[in-house]
Amino acid sequence: MTIRLINLTKSYPSRLGPQYIFRNLNFDFPTENNVAILGKNGAGKSTLFRMLAKSEYPDKGQIYTNKSMSWPVALATGVHPQMTGRENARFIARINDVRDLPKYEEAVQDFAEIGKRFDLPVKTYSSGMRARLVFACCINIHFDIYLIDEATSVGDPKFRRKAREALEVKAKEAGLIMVSHEMDQVREFCTSAIIIEDGQLNYYGDLEEGIAAYME
Amino acid sequence: MSDLVNVSFRAQLKVWKNVCFALFLRELRAQFSDRLGLAWGFLEPFAFIFGLSYMRSLIRDGDAHGIPIFIFMLIGMVTIQSFLQPFTKIASAFSKSKPLYAFRQVQPVSALLVAAFVEYTIKIIVILLALLTIYLLGVTFPVHDPLLLFLLFHLLWIMTISMSCILGIASSYLPEVKKIVGVFTRPLFFISCVFFSLQDIPVEYWHWFTWNPLVHFIELGRYACFESYGDRGVSLQYAFEFTLVVFFFAVSLYHLTWKGLLSR
Repeated sequence: MTIRLINLTKSYPSRLGPQYIFRNLNFDFPTENNVAILGKNGAGKSTLFRMLAKSEYPDKGQIYTNKSMSWPVALATGVHPQMTGRENARFIARINDVRDLPKYEEAVQDFAEIGKRFDLPVKTYSSGMRARLVFACCINIHFDIYLIDEATSVGDPKFRRKAREALEVKAKEAGLIMVSHEMDQVREFCTSAIIIEDGQLNYYGDLEEGIAAYME
Repeated sequence: MSDLVNVSFRAQLKVWKNVCFALFLRELRAQFSDRLGLAWGFLEPFAFIFGLSYMRSLIRDGDAHGIPIFIFMLIGMVTIQSFLQPFTKIASAFSKSKPLYAFRQVQPVSALLVAAFVEYTIKIIVILLALLTIYLLGVTFPVHDPLLLFLLFHLLWIMTISMSCILGIASSYLPEVKKIVGVFTRPLFFISCVFFSLQDIPVEYWHWFTWNPLVHFIELGRYACFESYGDRGVSLQYAFEFTLVVFFFAVSLYHLTWKGLLSR
């Protein structure tokens, strides 16, 4: 049960011609445990991440999976600043085909701990509150794999603990793929690592081993 | 694999419907969140169309080729504003919804169609307001061919949406297009027979005007309301063929580029 990348090629156009991030990449992405994606800036972490979520498509090649995947949860994905937290939650719920809207709203409000400000426009939120809202929206919908892009790093320690507990509960039936630069955060959430270097992926079954290789 | 592949067409349609509905609500909230609210959305275009038509009829009362000036102008204004106003607005839907492409359920075409639907609904309300003013001013008239009028209006909207789609794609690949396009659309207001009739122009100059499908839409619209106005020089066939070509061009272009639109 993996995510399989077949002949994956992805480039971005630029003034210097297409910039290749991956070229004919073949890789089996393990999803049994929580995986951290490590790599330098611009190595293609977010690109890989977005392709896994099908927010973007590769130029060539395929990504096969039998898992349902969340959207890439980053700081502000899909959140409209003019709309209230509740309206944003409803939007996300509608798009993801959530049946019971009122119950979902309540769960999000409860998890994000934003109380009455749930009914204020998101532009009045602090960045930490925004992150909590987005994370709460995601965690309350069932996915096989959650894709988290440094979203939790802005939350305070208490919220991070809560987030981890929520993910641990889910861990029995769901996996987590995470992009982060903060090693203590990676250690908190993940058990294995993938390092991106020069368009190649390397899997480390042991997280510490991966971090050691990454730190070199 | 079976889980994902065996999603029925019906289920997919349902998700698509949900996405469009969510986008629609979002569009309404985002566009009309100030105190003037939704009303401004259709009062402003109505005021423009009505104001210009009414002023023109004040300057020179009477009729143009058998049509009361006010009605003559109104048909022209509604038609041209069903193109010019929505054209750039719908086209910007692609880039405006960019943050939402993070959700794989949201595809550019949904954003385009929702934006088009909002604009279309606004125009329908504007037309209803115009009909109300026609009634209140006591200038009602029997429509000669309502079916033709209905057909023209929707053909025009298909053309507008298709051209918006092309502009939207073009401007996401070449941002300069957006600046240039204003230069080309502005004159359309004056050469599309809004203020005058094709019949006012000597026949030998007609070819300078009849390449423009809007001329056909406007003049045929007037003909559909008043048979005596005549349809000399314009043809439904041209309007139809132009729409068809633009529509297929837009659909093919979208099919080729939609994955690129996500990351642009």
